[in-house]
Amino acid sequence: MTIASSGALFWIALGILVCYGATRLGLGSVTEPGSGFIFFWAGLILIILSLMVLVDSLRSSEEIVQETGEMNWVKIALVLLSLVLYAFFLERLGFVLTTIVLLTFLLGWIERTNWLRSLCVACAAALGNFAIFELWLKIRLPKGIFGF
Amino acid sequence: MLESLTSLAYGFNIALQPQNLLYCFIGVTMGTLVGVLPGIGPTATIALLLPATFKLNPIAAIIMLSGICYGAMYGGSTTSILLNIPGEASSVVTCLDGYQMARKGRAGPALGISAFGSFIAGTFSIVGLVIFAPTLADFALKFGPPEYFALMVMGLSVVAYLARKSMAKALMMAVVGIVLGCIGLDPITATPRFTFGILDLADGIGIAPVVMGLFGIAEVLENLGVLTKAEIFAGKIKGLFPDREDWRRSIGPIARGSLLGFFLGLLPGVGAIVPQFLSYALEKKLSRHPERFGSGEIEGVASPEACNNAAVGGTFIPLLSLGIPSNAMTAILLGALMIYGLTPGPLLIKNSPDLFWGVIASMYIGNIMLLILNLPLIPMWVSVLKIPYSYLSSFIILFCLIGAYSLNNSTSDIYIAVIFSLVGLLMKKFTFEPAPLVLAFVLGPLLETALRRSLILSDGSFSIFLQRPISAAFILFSVVVLVAPLFSKLRLGRGLSEED
Repeated sequence: MTIASSGALFWIALGILVCYGATRLGLGSVTEPGSGFIFFWAGLILIILSLMVLVDSLRSSEEIVQETGEMNWVKIALVLLSLVLYAFFLERLGFVLTTIVLLTFLLGWIERTNWLRSLCVACAAALGNFAIFELWLKIRLPKGIFGF
Repeated sequence: MLESLTSLAYGFNIALQPQNLLYCFIGVTMGTLVGVLPGIGPTATIALLLPATFKLNPIAAIIMLSGICYGAMYGGSTTSILLNIPGEASSVVTCLDGYQMARKGRAGPALGISAFGSFIAGTFSIVGLVIFAPTLADFALKFGPPEYFALMVMGLSVVAYLARKSMAKALMMAVVGIVLGCIGLDPITATPRFTFGILDLADGIGIAPVVMGLFGIAEVLENLGVLTKAEIFAGKIKGLFPDREDWRRSIGPIARGSLLGFFLGLLPGVGAIVPQFLSYALEKKLSRHPERFGSGEIEGVASPEACNNAAVGGTFIPLLSLGIPSNAMTAILLGALMIYGLTPGPLLIKNSPDLFWGVIASMYIGNIMLLILNLPLIPMWVSVLKIPYSYLSSFIILFCLIGAYSLNNSTSDIYIAVIFSLVGLLMKKFTFEPAPLVLAFVLGPLLETALRRSLILSDGSFSIFLQRPISAAFILFSVVVLVAPLFSKLRLGRGLSEED
């Protein structure tokens, strides 16, 4: 099985889930469509289109995955994880501290910039953004337990 | 017509207020900047700046955000010509002849003609906006839910038709976009739908975190460790003013590019990229020396550059007069209008004339600013590219996170942005295009309401869409667009992707 056809199977499964969820919400009638009406039809069309893509991918042996060059999946996973942790700690530790940690990690670890320079840039960026957003634009950024 | 001119004068009155001038300047400068920088486009930038505009008045905010839209078109050509890297997707074609001109030592005239061409086309499209938008809005007052539904279906069909890879995949993304857009409380019965008990989802998924994820963070992730430092054009750029011969050769292409871009931009679903390819192909067809295209012909720079600018003006017409966005960029602007509490649609011009005419007048002023910003300051924009990508990528991520968070002061929006960045990355990997998803995401709730209202109106008969002439015409057009590729091998989008 090619990657493309397993991808199509994923969309079919999603379509079925959407249709199922839609029936539970209630489809209503054509004269008075219910909450699930649009979801049901969208799910159904998704299933039909995915079947078309599936048939297409089974017929041609060509792999239709984008040649994007080697993606560094380990790095990508690390960045994504760091962003999830950022979201988790943002309101607990405050904007400035979490941002310094995140940027130092991104610059120093992911982009392999000199650690000391990464830390300096991270501090400057975190404080600069705090000044711009919080003080100038009056957009409330989370302060956390330390109050900044 | 006279009425339009009076209104436009009123618009200039508003656009020339110091605050609005300042935000216009910030907008076009930001637009040029992101146009120059590869890796971040106008769509993500508008989303990024959205939270920063909440405290502004809506007119200044929309003036700034639209400045980003057309400013990016100017900036994109600079990197295309000097580095053979399109800063924007809509400047891809400019690379073909622009870079060759630069290699032949004619970078100056190439940059010059693209700036002047953009200016002429921008001016033309503003005139078009003044004439067409109010007329179209008057006409659209006759639209009921069936017409709106049919129009949105047409927009989504056109987007799928123009898909570069698979049309079925583009349609799939449109359907997924509709589903995602409709998550949240039912607009009629207020039943929570697909919220899985998560309170933050009751209001639906926000447009900002979705766009930050799909266009901002995903782009950075894709380039992690891949993007190498760009080779910067070392030669001195001289003679930015095209000579008489350059002008003689360019004036026709600029005129044709402007017309083509503007009228294609009017169609929902088209955007600025496709017209550019078409204008290049048209010039090649019309040229007496088509074989010279690709080796540094000034016509190959003038026409597409005029075209993408005129197209931006064109895309503003369905946005401002119908409340229907035609691409991802205008979809976010629509989202912005709604956040500011304005109701986009045919009544926008009547109810908020200050916004409509102020924004149009500011576009004219913005185009003049861009001409000044882009000609003498080109070396400055080129030096922006010397910022290491590692810094840039980290900052893009940070801005995306701040942007996603500050909309509702909610960390769940950051989680949503992170999820969509992964989705965006996988979509790229499996050749799914994000544009239909974003467009359908914004249109989804409008589409649903229009459909349900139409059915209630017709007592459950789908024939209402065919009985009313305007909606029947839209539906017929959509069917032709969706069915035609089954019978002919030729599809515009695929043809374009081969031209790449």
